[in-house]
Amino acid sequence: MLLGQGRYAMLLKVNNLDVFYGPAQVLDDINIHVDEGELVCIVGRNGAGKTTLLKTIGGFMEPASGSITFRGDNLEGVPLEKVAMKGIKYVFQDKRVFGELTVKENIELAAYPTEESLSDAIQKVMSIHPKMKQLLGSKAKGLSGGERQILLIGRALVGKPQLLLVDEPTEGLAAKIIGEIIEILLKMKATISMVVVEQNLSTVSRLADRVYIMKEGKILREITDRELIRQPTLYEEDL
Amino acid sequence: MISKIEKSPGLTLAVLAIGFTIFAFFTSYPKITDFMIFCVFVLGFDLIYGHMGHLSFGHMLYLGAGSYGTAMFAYFVSPNPFLAIACGIMTAAVLGLVLGSVVVKTSGAAFALLNLALNEVGAFMVLVPFPQWTGGEDGLSVYFESYGLINVNNPKFWFCFCLGSLLLVCYIVIRFVRSPYGIFLKATKENEVRVKFLGYNTYIYKLVTFVLSCVIAGFAGALNTVNLSYTNPSLIDPTRNVEVIFASLMGGAGSVIGAVVGGTAYMTISNYLARYIIRWEMFLGIALLIFAFKFRKGIWGYIAKA
Repeated sequence: MLLGQGRYAMLLKVNNLDVFYGPAQVLDDINIHVDEGELVCIVGRNGAGKTTLLKTIGGFMEPASGSITFRGDNLEGVPLEKVAMKGIKYVFQDKRVFGELTVKENIELAAYPTEESLSDAIQKVMSIHPKMKQLLGSKAKGLSGGERQILLIGRALVGKPQLLLVDEPTEGLAAKIIGEIIEILLKMKATISMVVVEQNLSTVSRLADRVYIMKEGKILREITDRELIRQPTLYEEDL
Repeated sequence: MISKIEKSPGLTLAVLAIGFTIFAFFTSYPKITDFMIFCVFVLGFDLIYGHMGHLSFGHMLYLGAGSYGTAMFAYFVSPNPFLAIACGIMTAAVLGLVLGSVVVKTSGAAFALLNLALNEVGAFMVLVPFPQWTGGEDGLSVYFESYGLINVNNPKFWFCFCLGSLLLVCYIVIRFVRSPYGIFLKATKENEVRVKFLGYNTYIYKLVTFVLSCVIAGFAGALNTVNLSYTNPSLIDPTRNVEVIFASLMGGAGSVIGAVVGGTAYMTISNYLARYIIRWEMFLGIALLIFAFKFRKGIWGYIAKA
């Protein structure tokens, strides 16, 4: 929602977030925000804490201190299912779908708690990847990596999602499929806010409205200049 | 043909009805009635093990609750067999709801062992503190009234009643697992955390499934009491949980027909092998090893695949 003079309504705000794995601190004083309609990328090397940050926002991990607010509501202590019902959806890195279910059942499972009709839910998935129609009756475990990723993204769109947390969407995929996934994410940009964790800077340069660079559990730098984002060689050395 | 039977509930029920009737014709009605009651128990157990993916070492507790609820009602209140069966089912349902509200918060080994612990407590409660109510080690012998043609003491009537009960339970389980609820169960078996992140309060869904499973187990216990006109602590004995686990594995966990095939196969082995071999349980152990390594999906899973 445009509030005037280039300001957008803030959707998500993470304040002074600290997270520990046992005695080891993995996130240190993280401050980020996501505005409505924005696609924010979080980049960094392996072990920088990107996935941990995403999991903490999604409610999978408890922060030691700090706060996460979504549309002004504090998410502290909110159960996973209620986080999902608030409109925050998560697309996991491992591309694991419910393999014993068919593609249609995977979509139905996502549609049921949102009270969206199955036909509308299927239509949403078809809208991002029409070829999925031929796979509706197939067991999801038989899908390729790219098809699984598309199913996971499509499934996350069911209901009325407001924020999509996408973890490494192109990892381990063939170049052709990566292009397709990027096109899908770009198409979705108009309708939903996203936080995308990504290591591939050329992907980031095509997708991001804003970039946070993470290093050793901290936010090292925020890049807001879109011209700069499109030239990853200029910030590659920060990683 | 096999896949047609699996896909059509009507065909499944017809095949089971014809199969048990033929089986009874060549053996005896009371024996096949025993088999069918055990199959009802396996169906209840398989709902939480095969369909939801939670192995319980304590489901005998709910069989025992149904059995004792029925026997105590008949002994102390009324010899009406149908009211007694209803009381047995209610006993198992209430116990399942109360204990289930705690146990479904756990999973894996904790779920299995917590159920075993509760089964041990239940068996102790039946044996020691209230022998005046439960009959202690001797159990309770009860009498059930008959009403004209409706005579539970008539083996043929009772066979038909138990066959009808088995088919009803099969139908309920088939409808349950083929509804959106069944999709939820399959997904929970694969990854419960991710199901939560789709917006499901998995606790409530798991509790409902657990209670339904307890109700079916309690129904089997109630039928068993009417069948034998008594109950005793062996019907709540925690060491007998292995029987239902074995039957479920042998038939094919997560399949309605598999549960019935497993229950029938187990009862056949335990009834007929025991006649010729004193330590027949050893063969069950060997069979379990063969199933674990060679036929992971059980007898029915193997037939359906072939």
